[in-house]
Amino acid sequence: MLTLRIFCAKLLFLLIISSLIAPNSFAANPVPAIQNMLAKPKVLCGRFDQTKHLVGMKKPLLSNGRFCVLAGKGVLWRTLQPFPNTLRLTRDEIVHFQGERVAMRLEAKQEPVVRMINSVLFSLLSGDLSQLESLFEVEGSADATTWKVNLKAREAALAKAIGTIALDGGAYVKNIQMNEASGDRTSIVFSDIKTGDTVITAEEAALF
Amino acid sequence: MKYSVNFHKLQHWRWFLVWALVVSGLLAHNAYLWLGQRITPDTDILALLPVQERDPVLQQSFTHMVDAAQQRVMILIGAQEWEDSKKAAKAYTQVLAAHQDLFDITSLSEKTQGDWLAPFQQNRLALLTAQQREQLNTLDADAWANTALSKLYSAFSGPKLGAFQDDPFGTFDAWVQERAQETPVRPREGHLFVADATHQYILLPMTLVPPAFSLTAQEKVLPLLEQAAAAARASLGANANKIEIISTGVVLHAAAAGQQAHQEVSTIGVGSLIGIIVLMWMSFHSIKPITLILLSIGVGFLGALSVCLLLFDRIHLMTLVFGASLIGIAQDYGIYFLCHRLGASQVDSKTLLKQLVPGLLLTLACAIVGYLGLALTPFPGLRHMAVFSAVGLLFAWLTVVCWFPHLVQANTLKSGKLVARYNRLLGVFSAIKIFAQRSRSIWILAASLLVVSFYGVAQLGVNDDIRLLQTPPKHLVSDQIKFGKLLDAPTPVQYFLVRGASPEIVLQREETLKRALDPLIGQRVFSGYQAISNWVPSLKTQAENRALIERKLLDKEGPLKLIADKIEEDAEWQTKLSQHLLASNQTLTVENFFQSTASQATRHLWLGKIDNTYASIVAMKGLKYAEMQQLSKLATGMEGVQWVDKIAEISSVLGRYRHNMGWVLLGAYLLVFGLMLHRYRKDTWRTLAPAALASFFTLALLGISGQALQLFHVLALMLLLGIGVDYGIFMQEQNRHSTTKIDGGASTQSKHLAWLATGLSAASTLLSFGLLALSSTPALRAFGLTMLIGTALVWLIVPFFIHAKDN
Repeated sequence: MLTLRIFCAKLLFLLIISSLIAPNSFAANPVPAIQNMLAKPKVLCGRFDQTKHLVGMKKPLLSNGRFCVLAGKGVLWRTLQPFPNTLRLTRDEIVHFQGERVAMRLEAKQEPVVRMINSVLFSLLSGDLSQLESLFEVEGSADATTWKVNLKAREAALAKAIGTIALDGGAYVKNIQMNEASGDRTSIVFSDIKTGDTVITAEEAALF
Repeated sequence: MKYSVNFHKLQHWRWFLVWALVVSGLLAHNAYLWLGQRITPDTDILALLPVQERDPVLQQSFTHMVDAAQQRVMILIGAQEWEDSKKAAKAYTQVLAAHQDLFDITSLSEKTQGDWLAPFQQNRLALLTAQQREQLNTLDADAWANTALSKLYSAFSGPKLGAFQDDPFGTFDAWVQERAQETPVRPREGHLFVADATHQYILLPMTLVPPAFSLTAQEKVLPLLEQAAAAARASLGANANKIEIISTGVVLHAAAAGQQAHQEVSTIGVGSLIGIIVLMWMSFHSIKPITLILLSIGVGFLGALSVCLLLFDRIHLMTLVFGASLIGIAQDYGIYFLCHRLGASQVDSKTLLKQLVPGLLLTLACAIVGYLGLALTPFPGLRHMAVFSAVGLLFAWLTVVCWFPHLVQANTLKSGKLVARYNRLLGVFSAIKIFAQRSRSIWILAASLLVVSFYGVAQLGVNDDIRLLQTPPKHLVSDQIKFGKLLDAPTPVQYFLVRGASPEIVLQREETLKRALDPLIGQRVFSGYQAISNWVPSLKTQAENRALIERKLLDKEGPLKLIADKIEEDAEWQTKLSQHLLASNQTLTVENFFQSTASQATRHLWLGKIDNTYASIVAMKGLKYAEMQQLSKLATGMEGVQWVDKIAEISSVLGRYRHNMGWVLLGAYLLVFGLMLHRYRKDTWRTLAPAALASFFTLALLGISGQALQLFHVLALMLLLGIGVDYGIFMQEQNRHSTTKIDGGASTQSKHLAWLATGLSAASTLLSFGLLALSSTPALRAFGLTMLIGTALVWLIVPFFIHAKDN
């Protein structure tokens, strides 16, 4: 129930402490090449497997589920194992479902950062790096079919709080790796990615 | 013999010379003030309000709230596209950046630098939202374990306030989020950002360097802001009209008020002067009377300025505006003398003056009695006006008495054609009077007039709204409203004042108050509150919160054990996590909160130590004015808590003084009656009746036209008494003069002279106060309108009360 609040608080914090962006000026910018490689479908769904290594814990925490990215609409993030719950992010709100029940709703009217959180998340999942460049320094490489980037927050306080984010993929994002300054690490692997109007289930589509 | 003639001559000129000395002194003093010291009039409307002497803490809380806002200028620049907003804001700030002597632009990077969360992180276990405290008391260990587990496994718990082990149950996160919700403003790419449904705004907070009420600030700031706005629009090219710029700040209101007052000083003052000059020209066909009257008015003004500045060290622009209407009365003395000079060709000026002095003295005394009413109010501005006017009149009067007899000799004045025509009017009045005395219909007319008037007076409502004192331009008000809505800013004039013997007691009382307030948020009485205890709970609450977390969450058999079992960790992990959490056990105090940059937005709510008590403010957001009573009720009976409503307080002062002033007015009539009884005996009522009747009819007219009675109407009636009695005295004096001469022709002429003096002075009073009725300040408008109707009525009524025996 509090998950979403916490989640939002974190992203909120991310944005609160992010500030002062210097103009982007490094030579080998891989972003245009990556932008060309990405498929940018209207609807994209797939499976995710998440592994978290937390400070003070011996074993990693594993979870998995399904996600969908709908261009222009938002993101659906459904954790299935070990605790089922669903997160839906649209332009104007973040809603957390526990089964059918709305466990939490945060509206842009009430919290203006909602729109920014959602755009960052959408950019991360769809690999839209040009959008992320305002917040992060993007460094990386690209060959014909694959690419790899490291994101480092432009602002020192933000960098200290979130550490670094690494993304790699081809036509789609395949891996996200987050290394926090606190020592907690999270990696997400995306697989079974399908695109097109039919990949989203009726049950999922009903949420939009 | 020769010696005695010279001595006599010297004595003759003595008063002239003494007064010449005084006037040179005035000139020197004024030159020193305006040229040497370069004094400028006050424009701060608050300077006109009564000083709250009874309660220093209350007074200080108000100045504190006002001071916090006074130097601030806030600009919101919004467009539909964020990029456009950024572009426009950049252009805007570039213009202002060149004027660092005027604006200190608060830079965001300075604010966000440094870890603003540090003082709170040291004390995580003591900070809980009200909702969480309730959940800790109601939810069981399973529920809390589930909360922590779902947080553990949640997607994207990537960027966060700290590691999982720092805040496993998310209590601190929730508290920080609640604090962040106190303002809708968010940093975004180095800007302060706020949005509504259509626009994305950038907030530019600035601090004004020169004092907001100084003339420099007002003259330079407005054009510069306009220039910056133009630059911002220009930066967007074709989209220039899609941008929205909202400006707020005390300086904008001050500048608008200053501009308005400046304009009115020139329209009312200059208009009044031109009116008088034209009148005099038409009556006397000579420059001399005009220059003489201007001389008396000028000396009056210089004297008023000198004395006011000596007494109060400052002068308010409103005093000058009001003082501009002084011209209307200051001329009476000169006119009265000159009109009589016009008639009494065979008498020398000195003898003439001797004849006129008793009447002149009475008119002065009565006018000053009228102004005394103003001095009885607790408003510093009104007191200044009273002193300014009374002194001005005295100086004008003395100029007439000391100088005029020497400057105007017999036969220097001739009357114009207008005078003859005007004097014929008096015959019309007499005819009406004679007709009326013979006819019974007059009684029917009088009776119906009385009935209508009583009806009108009964229609009078009352209005004591503070907005009477000043009306800001509409665009400033709408900007202010929009700004308040977007930023969800608290109102600076209505708040709770909390006091206690120590900071701890103040914080505890704030918490008691907040517990009582919380249910009212649900009832939509207001939308939220800002308080220091939101950030720094009392030590008592901090200890309670910590104990609650220890008992409910960190217990050996509690949620932590359930989590450990689920994720297959051992007892050692559990103990370690517990110890790690308990290690952040520093106490949060108001002092170390103030060291954090997070305190910048709320610091002004803490008043600190005032006379052995500590005090703070709980500020209200989104207050519904209709529901305000509930809040004042809430504070009664709550120890150390007081509801402060400055607007209601000022309105109640205005109301109280409107009421008291009514009695003062009646008292003044009695006083004036007493003053005149000695001279006029059984005819005394004739001098007062015109003013009294005119006042009554004026009230009736105001009532019929749907105006609400306010303090400024009553104050005008006070002045009307002064002016009305002048005319009454003029007309009665001619009666006395004519009784000393048996000559019937002289009697008619004397009556004509008095009637001329009344007419000239009434016409110019109408001109000056008529223009005051054009003022855009409601208070001055009410004052002017009352004088306009009242003076006209006195003028019309006065001829009916001339003693009848010469008919």
